[in-house]
Amino acid sequence: MVGMSVLRSAAAFAARLSPLKSGNKVSNLLTRTIPKTEQVAVRWGHGKQLFVVKPSGYYDTRFLRLLRYYILLTGIPVAAGVTFINVFFGEAELAEIPEGYEPEYWEYYRHPITRFISRNFYDSPVKDYEKMMAAIQIEQEKGEHRLAHLEVRRQMRQRGDGPWFQKETVDKGLIDHSPKSTPDT
Amino acid sequence: MPDDFDKDVYPVPPRRTPADNKQTSLPSPAVIASKLFYYSVDLPVTKFRECIDSIQSGNKSVYYHQRFRRVPDLTECEEGDYVCYYEAEMQWRRDYKVDQEIVRILQERMRACTQREGDSYHQNCSKELQNYNDATKAFLSRYGDLGAYASGRKCLMKQKERMMDAQKA
Repeated sequence: MVGMSVLRSAAAFAARLSPLKSGNKVSNLLTRTIPKTEQVAVRWGHGKQLFVVKPSGYYDTRFLRLLRYYILLTGIPVAAGVTFINVFFGEAELAEIPEGYEPEYWEYYRHPITRFISRNFYDSPVKDYEKMMAAIQIEQEKGEHRLAHLEVRRQMRQRGDGPWFQKETVDKGLIDHSPKSTPDT
Repeated sequence: MPDDFDKDVYPVPPRRTPADNKQTSLPSPAVIASKLFYYSVDLPVTKFRECIDSIQSGNKSVYYHQRFRRVPDLTECEEGDYVCYYEAEMQWRRDYKVDQEIVRILQERMRACTQREGDSYHQNCSKELQNYNDATKAFLSRYGDLGAYASGRKCLMKQKERMMDAQKA
């Protein structure tokens, strides 16, 4: 009777094992050794090793990598150049304008790079001022000419003694006065 | 080394360190702290500055303060003379910037005085306070609500309104 229950439980146990897994074949069931618990490979490191499921960080890291690369590609030479200029050519110092000396327009700036750009690429502020004043004078003269034109048109149309607003008529010599030259007979 | 600030404009308050009354032969912690600061911060910074100065001593350059000629005002321009308007406008803008800087300097002096005096600034800083208040009132009455598109013409119109109000009153 006891043997019957042991056999039934053993049969139920064998039925629960998956036949597809190796070591579960009929021939192995009775002859395989049960592993001892103290021989399992367990490492007590930083805790149980987990497979964290998270979205791919590849695109983020790639973006940051490329951003750093392209910024530093010109950033480092610019920073090195500006440091070189600041160490070897310092900023200018303020001084009184000597008597009888007219400073060049770039000598009114302090930083050497500003002076360089002003000297080599920009026109002098005096020249810009004069250019602006020339443009304003041209526009002013244009405006005055337009107003004068309108006034001349008005006067000539009103008085009729000018070259404008004349209507072309037929030549006086072409008129045939013969119907009117003799009185009615 | 760059110049120190003007000692007349920003006077240094008198030192209040008490006279030395040492009763031990141990060094005072203030001396230790000051020596520590000197050797860790002051000396390296001074040496670095002198090194840079010696490198830069060969190529020193100067810059000047630009002086502009006075040109006729907007009131002295004929009507329709846009070139005269432009020159007057540019002069007005330069004067506006100069006035802003004047008010800023007076404000900075007042703030320095307040910081120096602490709680007794009401009586000790009265001159700086008065200067700053007068300058601010004058600045606001002249350039007050002109806005971002301020111009010489708008300022002139504001002056006209001020004179009309003064005449009415």
